[in-house]
Amino acid sequence: MLIELRDVNKTYNNGQPLHVLKGINLNIDKGEFVSIMGASGSGKSTLLNILGILDNYDTGEYYIDGRLIKGLSEKQAADYRNHLIGFIFQSFNLIGFKTAVENVELSLFYQGVSRSKRHALAMQYLDKLGLADWASHYPNEMSGGQKQRVAIARALITNPKIILADEPTGALDSKTSEEVMQLLGRLNREEGVTIIVVTHESGVANCTNKIVHIKDGVIGQIEDNRQHSASVFGTSTIMK
Amino acid sequence: MKDVFTEIWESIRRNKLRTSLTGFAVSWGIFMLIVLLGAGNGLRNAFSQGGDQFASNTMMYGGGWTSKAFDGLKEGRRIRIDEKDVQLTGSDAFAAHIDDVIATVSTDGTATYSNKSVSVSIEGNYPQRAKMEKIEILEGRYINDKDIAGKRKVVVVAQNTAEALLPDLTPARELLGKHIKIGNFSYLVVGISKSDRMRGNNMIAAPFSTIKTIYNKGEDIDDITFTFHGLNNEKANEDFENQLRATINLRHRAAPDDKRAIWIWNRFTQNLQMNKVGSILNVALWIIGLFTLLGGIVGVSNIMLITVKERTHEFGIRKAIGAKPWDITKLILTESISITAVFGYIGMFLGMLTCELLDKTIGQASVSIMDEKIAMLVNPTVGLDVAIEATIVLIIAGSLAGFFPARKAAKVRPIEALRAE
Repeated sequence: MLIELRDVNKTYNNGQPLHVLKGINLNIDKGEFVSIMGASGSGKSTLLNILGILDNYDTGEYYIDGRLIKGLSEKQAADYRNHLIGFIFQSFNLIGFKTAVENVELSLFYQGVSRSKRHALAMQYLDKLGLADWASHYPNEMSGGQKQRVAIARALITNPKIILADEPTGALDSKTSEEVMQLLGRLNREEGVTIIVVTHESGVANCTNKIVHIKDGVIGQIEDNRQHSASVFGTSTIMK
Repeated sequence: MKDVFTEIWESIRRNKLRTSLTGFAVSWGIFMLIVLLGAGNGLRNAFSQGGDQFASNTMMYGGGWTSKAFDGLKEGRRIRIDEKDVQLTGSDAFAAHIDDVIATVSTDGTATYSNKSVSVSIEGNYPQRAKMEKIEILEGRYINDKDIAGKRKVVVVAQNTAEALLPDLTPARELLGKHIKIGNFSYLVVGISKSDRMRGNNMIAAPFSTIKTIYNKGEDIDDITFTFHGLNNEKANEDFENQLRATINLRHRAAPDDKRAIWIWNRFTQNLQMNKVGSILNVALWIIGLFTLLGGIVGVSNIMLITVKERTHEFGIRKAIGAKPWDITKLILTESISITAVFGYIGMFLGMLTCELLDKTIGQASVSIMDEKIAMLVNPTVGLDVAIEATIVLIIAGSLAGFFPARKAAKVRPIEALRAE
């Protein structure tokens, strides 16, 4: 198992204690393309943050590739995030004063990769995502879809074990959303990248091969969606 | 390292006005520090210029008036020191510390050369005085032993005195080898000495024996000067002075602890005190300068805090993709140090320029107090040592300014940072 969650609990103590995750058990294998689907307040974002080592959990165990992720120092957590995980965010989270290629390079910068080497690699990834001509453009000069592809390139460049996508289509129109989801699907199929998508849109979830439903901090049904027939709006569109 | 500076440059470029305004405060702080220290140095140099011209291990004493009744004699009695005091000073009693002892007699008179005359102070001196008072001979020579032995009528004339005796715009060396008249006698000018800025009078030095004979001074002398060794602190000097005073006072039937019966002028302790005053002045100027700089540092710290606040989201992104807390700290610290250092150096450069300017203007001027020319500032500049110290101060200041903002940036959890806008 690449990812193993055993009875993970998380409570927020902001005045009124809020038990967000109530004993999550989840296994995700290498090469899976999974979506975690739930309404807002279901705990899916908290789960994603824990999966991404951005937040810690109270009780239970979380393993990535056999490594227990618990009680890490900030430094260790940063190191794991850098090497094991690639993030794709709803709002892209590109650094505005850096060009596309500089944004992609940044993950490697924190690995201490030399300037020329990381530049070459970043160009290679941008090229793969069809953005080679946009390398020296700043994020505000690009469309939403292009920005998200830059973010995907940044996530992929460290060759991480998992790609975590938090509402990757949330800020995109339906056509671009479809393109992005197809891109993720292709990366999963052709390169065997493990991808976890968190979403509240059934259309997006339908693009993935497995749908994990989460509700009120508990994992409900886990659907096998290899037929991509989960969406009530049909198989090939993302309804906006 | 180049990457770090690229990052800093990107950040500064986005906030040009803010950075330069704060930078100005830092420049101003360092500028003030350098100018203050430069002016302080100038003041100290002017201060110690008088002291510098003497060998620092000389003491001088002469007769005064008693201030205490002693041995049946009333106070207010004039003490005149004489040849016996010279012998006593040079005797075995003080041999542990005293080396050379010389006496001086002096008298006032009028010196005349061709048709010009000036009133002068004529000192009967020994050859050793040249070394003790670091008298600089510009032309010819100083009094020598043969002059003393032969009671020769020779004189060494100070440059300004010589110029006063010669027709206008004639160089002082023209007087060398000429005869000048003082009182009823004619003297051969054997040397021209550098004018003594501390003494306003026209000075002429002649052999001790000559003056003593011509002016019929008998046993009386004006003052005694001696060099000493082995007295390295104020306590030792004070003890020695008390011992000397007691011995000389008793010989003149004055109370041994009467500080007015003879006066003692110790150049060594005077220099010590002057140095002490100088270093206190220096410390005071550093404190004033550092407090001025503090304003700038607080400014830098302030903009770094704003920067951190503005960039929290960006730091969140960086952390999410693998920046360690130290990477973030480093970013803020180096930015803070760079701003302080760059603007500090601008301030330092302008400060040094101002010091040079001071040197060229006020540094060359002097004020006249009672006919004495006193320089206000002598060489009011700072050395490499101050530049290095200021650099260290800047780096410490920059780190200090960046420390709290950097810690704040590093401490914020990535998930909160990502939520910030």
